[in-house]
Amino acid sequence: MIGFWDVIGRSESGPLLREEKFDLQVGRVARQMVEKYGIRYDPQQVVPADDDLADRVYQAGLDLFLELGIYCRDTGRLMKFTRDEVEWALKHAPTTVTYGQGRDVAVMTYRAIEDPKPPFCLMTPVGTPVAEERFVPMVQSYVQEPLAQTFSSAFSQTVHGRPIKSGTPQEVEAAIWNVIKLREAARAAGRPQIGIHNLISNAERTDATLAAIQADFGVQPNDGLCIAATAELKIDYERVKKVVALRHSGHNKYALYGPLMGGYAGGPEATAIVLVAYHFLGVLALEGQWHCCFPLHIHHLCNTTRELLWICSIAPQALSRNTHLLVTINTFAAAGPCTEMVVYEIVANALAATVSGADLDLVAVARNRHPERASGMEARIGAEAGHLAARQGVTREQANELVKEVLAQYEAQMDDAPIGKRFDECYDLETLQPTQEYLHLYERCKEKLSGFGLDYSLL
Amino acid sequence: MNMNLFEQMVEATVEGDEERCVALAQQALDQGVDPFQAIQEGYSRGMLIVGDKFARLEYYLPGVMLSANAMNAAVQVLKPHLLQRHDRGSRGTIVLGTIQGDIHDLGKNIVKIMLQAAGFTVHDLGYDVPVRQFVEKAEELEADIIAASAMLATTAAYMPDIATILSELGLRDKYLIMLGGTPVTAEWATVEAGADGYGENAVEAVQVAKRLMQEKSRGGEK
Repeated sequence: MIGFWDVIGRSESGPLLREEKFDLQVGRVARQMVEKYGIRYDPQQVVPADDDLADRVYQAGLDLFLELGIYCRDTGRLMKFTRDEVEWALKHAPTTVTYGQGRDVAVMTYRAIEDPKPPFCLMTPVGTPVAEERFVPMVQSYVQEPLAQTFSSAFSQTVHGRPIKSGTPQEVEAAIWNVIKLREAARAAGRPQIGIHNLISNAERTDATLAAIQADFGVQPNDGLCIAATAELKIDYERVKKVVALRHSGHNKYALYGPLMGGYAGGPEATAIVLVAYHFLGVLALEGQWHCCFPLHIHHLCNTTRELLWICSIAPQALSRNTHLLVTINTFAAAGPCTEMVVYEIVANALAATVSGADLDLVAVARNRHPERASGMEARIGAEAGHLAARQGVTREQANELVKEVLAQYEAQMDDAPIGKRFDECYDLETLQPTQEYLHLYERCKEKLSGFGLDYSLL
Repeated sequence: MNMNLFEQMVEATVEGDEERCVALAQQALDQGVDPFQAIQEGYSRGMLIVGDKFARLEYYLPGVMLSANAMNAAVQVLKPHLLQRHDRGSRGTIVLGTIQGDIHDLGKNIVKIMLQAAGFTVHDLGYDVPVRQFVEKAEELEADIIAASAMLATTAAYMPDIATILSELGLRDKYLIMLGGTPVTAEWATVEAGADGYGENAVEAVQVAKRLMQEKSRGGEK
């Protein structure tokens, strides 16, 4: 057995190491594991159907984690673990997570590869910056989606007209404002008790976060927070403090990992291995009840390129075959709202992830950096594709052919992905529905996707 | 003969062969080759190839770091001789850091490696760097560029303070400002935050830094 405080204690007792040295070790060990386990990325097998490959990726991730451990940035120490400790922690990791109350209760459970059970759909603008007056409408556009099972936040550029700076009194004010407004959006959508998987996306400091997690502000007992690891395979005390607080408060918590393909880990094979290894960090040091993965392409800052789709497929397969962890892929698209490219990117990612045993966290678009470029419609597009993949019983082999067809629709545009339309340009702010232009665009894309084999009549 | 030596330097740099890079640097000195020319025609050209390979992801970050380390080791051998010429062979001096409140430094570290590889002298202040520290270090080093990165919108909110503080101190025209990071867009950086340049990624950051330095050397206002 290994307890949380045994884990955290190692951040004060493990061997000292310079951070730069650890960064280089990640790449070196990942390369060794790629060779040792003979892992090869095949651009024609974007969604691989090779169980042995998935198992080798898993074993490589575990071996890498056992060799590297976790780096604690506050103490500059390595936290190392034995195989028995990791396996014990995995065995006792949660098998379900429940969000919401009343008629909006939603339960996330383990998904198998090619599981006919639809993916759990978390919907969110992933902190897209938005004007204060459009914060609630933008968030509401996600909550009101029928397939949304939880939701989270955009990023209001101001609160009470003032910008938000980390570490200032305004950050505390903003965090409290954020949770109040999220619940307001849920009420406005007619889903007052739907779960919020990440209550605060506009405050980084623990004091601001904890100040806001109060029932008086509309926070439900099983709403939750995201706890992020730092790339690659690092933790820091500011985030671990939140873990401690939530262990006592009982709110849900999930772990977030964003390895960069092309970065310290290396290429697609190494990045997939590192992504698997992150889950051991998340179970041990962050006590994540579920795991949110957003591997990114170092230049394109999305996970809809061919290599990233492979990573978004093989890593969940590795975990689904070897653990009961609840694994979610957070889609990051290069293009923005109301473009054909964004539809195809999201569909490709949702298909690859769903047949590989993952749930869906939908969705960051326009590389998650352009203000006002996000809407609930993109989350709908991803959720519908994920549901179809499950309901239609799409196999990995079929998904591979489908995804390659879809990739062909946008792959060449990756360098010049359009940022798309603003929220107030692609939604009618009176009715809070997508514009006819956006609906027609989606219909045109669905016709093409139907031709590839997706049966939209099943929705 | 020099051409052949330079080609070997290019090759050794691209291969990240530190031992060979150093040996070639010593060979260049022994043969009386201009050390500045050795850096420009040999190692820097090698790093340009490495940068192109990284842009196409034929090289990943560890490969770039190996090459950069190999080149730096060679430059250390050549440096004393450069100093004699009062010529340090640098494209410019950059003070770099992740802005106040932000601990996310992966992107900043990549930018640092690529800027160094492109021949800039980079002073890395690390992460969670207060705005005043950027300014103080730039003054201390007589830097050309202040470059800041942010991963979070709440920390990017500190970025406009760089231009503001420089203006308040009467130093705005002395430094170029470059910004980057997840919540930062080109429009926001230049219009809202008063920066001179923006890089969407490390490759673009290098292009922007070079362009800004060219404009400066042509007698631009900064």
